[in-house]
Amino acid sequence: MFGKGLLKGLQITMKEFWTPKFTVQYPEQQHPVPERFHGKFELDPDGCIACGLCVNACPNKVISLNKEKVGKKQYLTEYRMDIQYCLFCGLCVESCNKDALKFSKVFGMCQYHYDRIPLILVKREAPPQPVEEEESAGKAEPKAGAGAAKAKKEAAAGKAPDKEGQN
Amino acid sequence: MENLFVGVAEGLRNSLTGAGLTGVWNDAVMMLVKLVGILLFILLNALWIVYMERKVCAYMQARIGPNRVGPKGLLQSVADIGKLISKELHIPKDADKVVYMLAAVLIFVPPLMVFAVVPFGQNMVAIDMNIGLFYVFAIGSLTSVVLWMSGWSSSNKYSLVGSMRVVAQMVSYELPLVLSLLGVVMITGTLSLTKIIEAQQNMWFIFVQPIAFLIFFTAAVAECNRTPFCLVEGESEIIAGPYTEYSGMAFAMFFLAEYANVMLISAMATIVFLGGWLAPFGWTFIPSWVWFFLKMYAMIFIVMQLRWTYPRIRVDQLMGFGWKVLVPLSLANIFITGIGVYIYRAIGW
Repeated sequence: MFGKGLLKGLQITMKEFWTPKFTVQYPEQQHPVPERFHGKFELDPDGCIACGLCVNACPNKVISLNKEKVGKKQYLTEYRMDIQYCLFCGLCVESCNKDALKFSKVFGMCQYHYDRIPLILVKREAPPQPVEEEESAGKAEPKAGAGAAKAKKEAAAGKAPDKEGQN
Repeated sequence: MENLFVGVAEGLRNSLTGAGLTGVWNDAVMMLVKLVGILLFILLNALWIVYMERKVCAYMQARIGPNRVGPKGLLQSVADIGKLISKELHIPKDADKVVYMLAAVLIFVPPLMVFAVVPFGQNMVAIDMNIGLFYVFAIGSLTSVVLWMSGWSSSNKYSLVGSMRVVAQMVSYELPLVLSLLGVVMITGTLSLTKIIEAQQNMWFIFVQPIAFLIFFTAAVAECNRTPFCLVEGESEIIAGPYTEYSGMAFAMFFLAEYANVMLISAMATIVFLGGWLAPFGWTFIPSWVWFFLKMYAMIFIVMQLRWTYPRIRVDQLMGFGWKVLVPLSLANIFITGIGVYIYRAIGW
């Protein structure tokens, strides 16, 4: 019969007209970000031992870090990712044997200025040499079982600037 | 409510008489007010229909559509027009400048002239013309001349091809459009729009002349170059047809005129086939002009739904359908209606 297909088409659009809409109103609503999303990097500066495995793992040479020797330990002073070259492969995260480097669910990394693109996860001064070590160990007394090394780490964390304050 | 607009017009006339204006001047002022009112009506409705089209389109595609500018996005088309007004009117170097700009101005004239005779409700017609139907289609077909002007003067191959398609399409579809209405004219024996509406008191003509309605509707959609007959402005092949070179408000005029034409064909379908301002089921507690709007917007919705349902057809399909299907069908319809009218008259009904 002539026009049957035409009517069927109209039926379909009419049905679509009343179906719920798929649009998510972005700034107000968001799709849930999946658990294993490769978003912006997060670094726990106290967990990091500045071993440099992530620097070696990176295929694009995105990561650069500076460290200083404080006592017997490596102390991380600067951790910088040139995120514009990053392909978010996650090799650095996998290579981290202290689980200090992680992916977060933040995906908004756009910047208006080019020089603000690099992600500076840590930028801090190294603590003074071990002269102060005893003092800081005294402060960390409540955690009785903790060794001097851990106490030093805590003291360093207190002095460290906000790790994500750069961006 | 029923006599809201009629009452306003009456009050204005009385106050003019009170102010010492009588006779010709009184009529002239009244006519001016009515025409300005119609102009405002067309422009506001065109703005609303642009918004409605985007919403309907979005809803049929499981989207939401404009919802940022103003409440529910209602000011979206106002913002669009504001943007278009502020843009440069670009005139191509080789264009026929006078004709080029004239086309953008004149495109709004046919719909405006036609709406002057459209009865929006009981006693709500600016000019009650006894050849209203004839006038509507005589003036309405002038649109093709304006579109041809725009295409020719742009000195652009796409514009030219597009406007040649406009002329071919409009001339082809004018024929079934008018022929399909002849059946109604034969039954009522009048060309006056008001009388045609009054003749539908007992039975809308869509039930008496269903085939004529289908032919009329198809041809009318083709007449205002809407999808599925929108190959005039087929983006994939000729960019925007006759509108290719236009920018800013000149483009907006064509754009708004298209929606004014959609409104026009919906109004005509309402008047001729859907009983105009007559209330169905005797629901006269709703004013006649509200009924007219409801029916008109139902038709507009169907035109929009057609647009977002069907793909565009080819030129040869368009011409073949017009001349091989619609014209013979409308001639057959006239023939059968003639026989029917003759038989009814013979048995004295």
